Order: sequence, then C-alpha cells, then structure tokens
Amino acid sequence: MANFMVESCVKFACSCGILNPLSKLYFCRHCLKIRCGFCLCHEVDVRFCSNCLENIPSSEARLNKSRCNSCFDCPCCHHTLSIRATSAQVARKSGEETPKEGDAADPSKVLTKKSYYLACLACRWSSRDVGIPDQISAKGAWPENEYVYQSRFQSILEYYQNVVIQNKQEKQEMMRRKTLKAHKFPSLTDRTGLNVSMIRRQIGWPDKNTPKITKATVTPSKALEKFDELPEKMFTEKLNLRNVTTIEQRHGQPAHQPFTVNKLYPQRKNLCIKRSLRCRQCEHNVIKPEYHPGSIKYRIQLFAAYHVPDVWLVSCEKPLKAGVLCQAVLKLSNPTIHDMTITIMDLPTQDEEYEMMEDLKKSFEKNFTSLITSSSTALSTSSFSRQTSITEDPRLVSKKTTADMKMLESSFILNHRDDSAEFDELAENPTVKDEHKFIVSRKSNKVSLKVNFTPNGDLVAGDEVIIGFTMQYTYINTVSNTPDKKEPQQHALTSRVYINMGRIPE
Amino acid sequence: MELPDIVYSKDEYVETASGNKVSRQTVLCGSQNIVLNGKVIVQSGAVIRGDLANVRTGRFCVISKNSVIRPPFKQFSKGIAFFPLHVGDHVFIGENAVVSAAQIGSFVYIGKDAVIGKRCILKDCCIIEDGAILPPETTVANYMRFTKNGTMEGGQGNPNFVPPAMQDKMVEFTKSFYEHFVKAG
Repeated sequence: MANFMVESCVKFACSCGILNPLSKLYFCRHCLKIRCGFCLCHEVDVRFCSNCLENIPSSEARLNKSRCNSCFDCPCCHHTLSIRATSAQVARKSGEETPKEGDAADPSKVLTKKSYYLACLACRWSSRDVGIPDQISAKGAWPENEYVYQSRFQSILEYYQNVVIQNKQEKQEMMRRKTLKAHKFPSLTDRTGLNVSMIRRQIGWPDKNTPKITKATVTPSKALEKFDELPEKMFTEKLNLRNVTTIEQRHGQPAHQPFTVNKLYPQRKNLCIKRSLRCRQCEHNVIKPEYHPGSIKYRIQLFAAYHVPDVWLVSCEKPLKAGVLCQAVLKLSNPTIHDMTITIMDLPTQDEEYEMMEDLKKSFEKNFTSLITSSSTALSTSSFSRQTSITEDPRLVSKKTTADMKMLESSFILNHRDDSAEFDELAENPTVKDEHKFIVSRKSNKVSLKVNFTPNGDLVAGDEVIIGFTMQYTYINTVSNTPDKKEPQQHALTSRVYINMGRIPE
Repeated sequence: MELPDIVYSKDEYVETASGNKVSRQTVLCGSQNIVLNGKVIVQSGAVIRGDLANVRTGRFCVISKNSVIRPPFKQFSKGIAFFPLHVGDHVFIGENAVVSAAQIGSFVYIGKDAVIGKRCILKDCCIIEDGAILPPETTVANYMRFTKNGTMEGGQGNPNFVPPAMQDKMVEFTKSFYEHFVKAG
C-alpha cells in the first residue's frame, strides 16, 4: 500500500499547528516556513473540462456558467454521457438528386443515415428515454431547456449588478470629495482629460462624461396568501416511487427540480479547475501549475518534501508496553543538494507553543496592515480581491505525545542527495569517521537511526503511543530576497514531528 | 512507514535481463504481444491477455496478484475489434483489479478490486480508489481521484485528494516496491 493512500504515522506540524503528513505540506522559501493547505490562498488558475480536457478561458466559462459546451452529465447518476451513433435506414425520396453511377443499378436502394443520441454507460439512461430526438451531427444541437423562472432570475441578477455598480460609484464620489486638492488651481494643460470633469464641477456644470446609472427597477416578489388545494388524486392514487426523482437528481438540476423521471434532461458538465496556491504571509506563489490542462508539470512547486528532511518509521520493537523502554528505527532522508546537520530536540512546552502562536499572529497582523496601506495609496485599484484577511488561526498541536523519548546525545550530518549515485554501482557508501552510536546505517542521502522511548506509565491497552520531537536542520537558501546578498545563506530551521508508534496491545 | 520486504522463492519468479520479475503462476496469453519495458513486477495469478491485442507497459509497473489486464474492444456493425492497451511508467495496479482501459498514463494508482471499464482513458497522476468501478469510456483527467462512490474529485493543486507531488510519490513507491521485492536466500 502506497504511503499516500493510508494515513501516515509520521506527521509534521504546520506553523499554524495542524498536523499533516509531509506529502500534504508546502514550504514557502521566502518565509522559510512549512505551510499547510489552510495557510495558503487558493486561486483558480485554469478552467477545463475533465472529459474533453479542453482549456476554457475565464470569460467563456462565465458566459456558460462554468459548464462545458460539448460534454454532458447523466441526469440520473451524474456520470458523463457518451455519444452513441446508430444508423437508421431511410427510403430515398423521389425528389432527391439522382444517385451516383455506382448506385444507379439499384434505384430502390435505401439510404443509411447516421444519427446520434446520448447514453450513460454507468446507469443505462439514454436521451431516447425522455424523448429527445436523435441528432444528425455528433456534436449535436442538443436542446437547451427553458426554465420557468429563467427571465425572473435574469432580471433579479441585473438589478443586483446595478446596485453593486451604483454603490461603487457613490463610494468613489465620496472619496473624491474627501481627498484634499493638491493645487488650488487645476492645471489647464492637462492632456488626459481627467481634470475636465473637475473644472466642469467647479464652474457648476453637470458632469457630462460619467452618466449615472439609474436605479433599475424590479418587481418585488409577493408572498402568496392562498394556495390551491392538493388535487384529489394525491390521496387516492398509488404512488410509483420508480417514477419519482431522488433528491440528488433534483439537486442536479436546481433550476428545474423535476418531480418525475421523464423530465430528467442531460446537464452540461461542470468545469474542473487547476489551483495555484499562494503564501498568505508573503504573497509569493508556492504552487503554480502549467496552463495546459493535459500537463502534469508545475511552473512553481515548493513542496515540503523537496526542502524538509523526511522521516520514516522503519521498525518498532513490539509489543509496546506501558512504562517499559522500547526501541525503534527511524529513517531520515535529505531531499536537498546540500549536506544537512540534524539535531533532534525536545518539543516546545505549552508556554513556548503559545509564544509561537502569538508571534505568528503578530506577523500576520503586521503584514495585513502593510497590505491595507499599500492598497489604499493606490486608490484606483479597487480590485483588492485576494483573500488575505482570512487567515487560519494558529492553534496548539492537537496530538499529545504519550511517550517519553530519549533525545540523541549529539547532532549528525545527513548527506546531500545525489541522483547519479543510483546508477553508479561502484559508489561507496559514505563513511563518516567517529560514527555516532545511534546511527544504524547510511545509504546515499539516507540515515537510519535508533531511538529509545518509554511509553507513559498510565497508558492502558488500546492506547496509541505517540512520540514527538523537534527536528532542527540546516537549510541553505539559494534564492536571496535581497539583491545585494548573492551568497547562499544558511539557516537553522525546525519542524515538529509526531510519530504514531502503534497501540498498546490488549 | 517504510515498505516491508516481500520475499519470493527463486523457483516462483523469472527475472529477465531488463529486470522484469514475472511469476510462473500467471496467465500470459499471446506473450509475443506483451511488452514489459523493464523492472516490471507481475505477481502470481495475474492474467494479461496479449492474444486479444498488444499490451505494453512502461518501466517500474506493478501488476499485483489476481489482476486481469484485458485490452478493450469495440463493437462495430461488421463484428468487433480489439484495441491495444498502453500503460505508462510507474503505474501500480492493485490486487484483483480488472483493467480494460484503452490508455493508462504514467504515475497512476489503481486500487485493489477496482474495475476499469472498456476504453477508459486514465491520464497521468490519477488515482482509482480501492473497489471503485469505472464505467466504460470514462476519462479520468490529471490529478483526479475516482472514488468508490463513483464521483470524481480533486484537480491539480487541490491537496486533499491526490497529493500534489503525485509524480514523485509514485516514482518513490514503485521504486521502493521493486527494491523490497527480494529473492529468498
């Protein structure tokens, strides 16, 4: 079973305090911190149809309400519909053009006409079931359903769009009045024409070039006082549940919500997205996928697994007993191209953890206010749409260690990764002089080491044994934020690691 | 957790020059039409129907116990035709899985007891969950996860369904599977 398919027993704490396996974590190389999915800003990068894999630009997606133009979903089971071709034989009409020479011998020969219909290969629903006529072309001009409330919703939508625009205009007007005049006399040599409206206003003429949007009117909805009585047959006729749609089927067509199955029509397929992730603290991209929907590559990929040494649990002495010293073997691997010095330390105490949380909150606040001020200076850019303000509240790590781990007496070096070593059969394993006692073996960029731990005495059968430690590692930052410092800088980074060793047996 | 060693006896498996490890207890029909591109493990009980059409797999694939690889067919008015089945690199096919896809990309994980209907297209880096049944002619896009309940989830950049580093994860997994698949004695 692959590691990513089962819950990992080794978890890393994100800076916000949520535990995740390393495969779900990212590393911001500008903040030099581990980030989880909650500490990142998710943005839609590319829209595409997951069936035809066509890239659909955002304007077109908006026009089509984020649905594919050519693919359909089954209204019954929401699986993709396939287009089936059938050939029907049609008798040639007398009025049609004369057949080609080859056919001339048999004038009574029938024409085979291809026609297409939609079929679901998962539940065997087909467009013929609901009486949609077969189409002549494969792409087909499949009938669009007209909904009862379509025009009503359209008018409401327009009304509220108008309201938004009006609010925006009023706000801009307010801002314009509030801002102090830079000069007493407006420049008459202004070429941009921006000041024209200002001069007009000073003279007292009405603004010509900005027509005000008048309030659109919409007839407000009214609540009904009286309802029709339920028809008699509701109480007398037996209900055939096979003809009644399920809740899922109704939700699949929210505008229509058919009651019976003969009103289920194929639905255009919803689009899928590729996301790019951005660090909420420094606004740098952490992940940016390639634009092409068929590509699996990234243009920016800062996965934690590329920067933070990974920890595996190789073996653990069984059975685990409460209060008895146990031994386990861990394996660490260095994903970077620089040697790392690793120190295993105690986890921070609760007070220290609170302190870390406070620091994080402060740095967020500082960042947020600077963003606000920078955006208010650039008044015209009202497109402050990024969700910077929503940050994940830092919290204490939910998992508590239930074993006391004996810390290693000294730090050790983890060799750098060398991709060519895999193919080099003669390559000798690195031998380090004065190897520490706790190191079992070394192989290229990996180190196996023994750790000793004592499960807490108060654990009973069935309780999980969790050990935890802070791993400090040296990290060489090759990209420098400041242009004057060209030298790669070395940092000592820490990450909190929690390992589930298993349960105390019954 | 590090993968445990899987030990096989010397008589049970044949190792080819390119590093393929194929069990003797497999049914390989039409073996001249089957191409395993190196370091592929075919475990006992697997069935590969090379007699129907060509089957080609990339490097570092794992075809687990009792799985069936069967090229897809299409029915025409004049009979049926079989299509070749191509499997990319670093693909894992779980136990008891039945695969009739037309094309399987690279870095794909197919869980155990999964059924892939005929002429499905599995793009790179997708996951088919254990016990999922993929209806015929379905396309599973990159970084999508087809669940047991028949829904498609995920997408590139979504951390919750398919790991964003799926490519590296599958390379690491299939390589370590090969390394831990060792001869007894």
